[in-house]
Amino acid sequence: MSILFLGTSSGAGKTTVCAMICRYLKKNGVDVAPFKGSNLSLNSIATKDGGEIGMGQAFQAWAAGLDPETDMNPVLLKPSGKGVMQLVLNGKPFKDITKDSPMDREMALQKVKKAFDRMNAKHQLVLCEGSGSPVELNLMKTDLANVGLMKATGVPAVLVGDIERGGVFAAIYGTWKLIPDELKPQLKGFIINRFRGDGSILKPAIERIENMTGMKCLGVLRYEYLRFPEEDSLSSSEGKLEGNDVHSAFIANLDEMITHAEEDGFDFELMKKMAGL
Amino acid sequence: MVKFIYSEIERLGITDAKDERFDDIFMAAKENFWKKGKSLMVVGATSDAGKSVTVAAICRILHDRGYLVAPFKSQNMSLNSKVTRTGAEIAMIQVLQAKAAGLKNPDAHMNPILLKPKGDTVSQVMVCGKPFADYDVEGYYNEFVPGPGIQIVKEHVDFLRDRYDCVVMEGAGSPAEINIYDKDIANMRAAEIADANVILVVNVEWGGSFAYAVGTIELIPEKDRKRIKGIILNNVRGNTENLRPGAEELERITGVPVIGIIPHADVVLPSEDSEALRGVRSKGEGRSLIGVIKFPRMANFTDLDPLFLEDVSTVFVEKPEDLNGVDAIVMPGTKNTVSDFIWMQETGIADEVKKLWKKIPIVGICGGYQMMGKILDDSNGIENGTPKIYDALGFFNNTTKFGEYDKQIVQNEGTLAVGNGGEITGYELHMGISEVGEKQPLVLLERFHADPVPEGSVREEDLTFGTYQHGIFDKPAFRKYFLSFVKHDGEPVDTSGTEDYDSILEENLTKLAKVFEENMDVEKLIDIAGVRE
Repeated sequence: MSILFLGTSSGAGKTTVCAMICRYLKKNGVDVAPFKGSNLSLNSIATKDGGEIGMGQAFQAWAAGLDPETDMNPVLLKPSGKGVMQLVLNGKPFKDITKDSPMDREMALQKVKKAFDRMNAKHQLVLCEGSGSPVELNLMKTDLANVGLMKATGVPAVLVGDIERGGVFAAIYGTWKLIPDELKPQLKGFIINRFRGDGSILKPAIERIENMTGMKCLGVLRYEYLRFPEEDSLSSSEGKLEGNDVHSAFIANLDEMITHAEEDGFDFELMKKMAGL
Repeated sequence: MVKFIYSEIERLGITDAKDERFDDIFMAAKENFWKKGKSLMVVGATSDAGKSVTVAAICRILHDRGYLVAPFKSQNMSLNSKVTRTGAEIAMIQVLQAKAAGLKNPDAHMNPILLKPKGDTVSQVMVCGKPFADYDVEGYYNEFVPGPGIQIVKEHVDFLRDRYDCVVMEGAGSPAEINIYDKDIANMRAAEIADANVILVVNVEWGGSFAYAVGTIELIPEKDRKRIKGIILNNVRGNTENLRPGAEELERITGVPVIGIIPHADVVLPSEDSEALRGVRSKGEGRSLIGVIKFPRMANFTDLDPLFLEDVSTVFVEKPEDLNGVDAIVMPGTKNTVSDFIWMQETGIADEVKKLWKKIPIVGICGGYQMMGKILDDSNGIENGTPKIYDALGFFNNTTKFGEYDKQIVQNEGTLAVGNGGEITGYELHMGISEVGEKQPLVLLERFHADPVPEGSVREEDLTFGTYQHGIFDKPAFRKYFLSFVKHDGEPVDTSGTEDYDSILEENLTKLAKVFEENMDVEKLIDIAGVRE
């Protein structure tokens, strides 16, 4: 089983939402493992087997009670400046890619697909995170972590939209609209993230989006004053991080998020159903 | 028109200036030549999409082509406001846009509704630059908007259209918030009232811009959607050409032309909202470190912007430790002096500032200045609800009384009363009146046909300075004077290159307009504005 969380923009909160759901499922007896096909990040971590993966997936692995491993993030792109990126494949530096020497996209997709299959064989549920927005018209053809993964694996997907910046309904509807028609049936739901105030005022608008797209809203998550590991330079989280051990402090923050999500009526059961559990 | 009037005078042989036939000539001239101005609206797919700078750039571009242009934003929520010449309070950003439009004196018509957040849910609503009433969110949308709100928008945009070739309007937030669409008077409703064509601006930096553009256009009801005549992809880092194929596909999908792909513009312009400061811990790159007390209700923090032209960086102080190693302290303005003074005491920042007093320079502006006095007298409970008299920091022998719910709103010019003197400008926006027990004022304010009025307090020997004048750092005089006391590693800040902030803004508006001009189809823009005729 698998499910993919896509963001309507960078910094929409995918990484944290995925970690929270990993933690929730783990606590409820599901053998869940995180996965991100392709990651663009300078924050990486060494796995026990001496590989390198993005920080976000390591954090999600801890939330799922697992040790980080290279199959959780088979493609890692590390910008090294001046248009050069180091391509890390299956945890090992592979080569520097530039405009003139681009990544072999087919080869990379195969690596992603194989890692996904291995994770799927080992775990009850693979919880995947997308990268950036899935509908960058100029990048969609070469995408790995979003529509690339959807096409290659048929994974069902949920959109995460950030309401703090405004325009979240446009973002969710527009993303759905621009996803290729043959993949639209895989879009099962959406989440509205970082809301401040009384969520009931959003209800009519949410129903309209549900009717227009056929997706179901899993819930409205509140703005959290909690700190989590930074995935990329665009997110600037602020807020609480208590205790001496950073690792357990993050987990405690996730538990607080789960409590809030439950209070706010987040539909974990529907999410499990979408994932095929 | 002038030619027509002269030829009529000649034709009718009028020689006397009091000739009654002048009325007929002027009526005929108005009929023949006057026409109502056009309007163009800029909406954003999100907050911070770049609406404000786009309006500023369009104002400048049209102004440069000889059109008479005015900016307009029906409703603005901001704690950064300025005072017009007639003593009205409007959002700072419309003042900047008016400057871009080449207008010397912005007025309240350009921002008839200003919301100043007071707490988490209540805002003070200013109409035409004067306090109108306080509303919570529900009251605002259910009472104010359908009642006076719509009328106010109509009246003022109409006033501007009667006097300018083009009114460049700015929306607020996203125009496609379908849960409040019918109650929103800042976006498509305002466009309808002004019969404006609309340009949609999308910030590319965060990703998902194509989805935001498509979603925004499609969620707007058809009758309003027709007004959207152009898309601008804004704030592109890297090569704008990479976006071209995507932009072309976006045009095909929406049927709306992409009229500009604008690179990130590296300009020095004031930031509009506290949004832009959220999570920011420091700003600037200079050597001297200035601690800015980050009051929870900090207001008019654009006061600080000119400091970043100097060899200065700031740290925003939210706890006492943040003051470690600072070379000077600025206590900025606040929407609520008493509540923020209590915050300052509770966090321990007040004690830390007292310890640093006389050791490093401290300047207070408006609310910060009020706190530097001996007493904050809120015995009517105007500021904080509960009537109480507070012992303030006691750096100055001043007492501030919040006697009644009244606000001082005034624009000032004058001279610095200390150091080498020099020109200053500023504006006052405050509740409360101070009885000043200090001998040395900071500035002398010019008054029409009367003696200059002393304002502010200075104790040079204690390195302590205070004033009600927002914008006090804009002109070089006070900036140079204050920074001469600020020592980093024993060395004073070098201010030999200090420039007038106003002329820096002017330069940057020109630079901004140039970036837009080079990356936008200006002819298409002029067509959309409908001013060509």
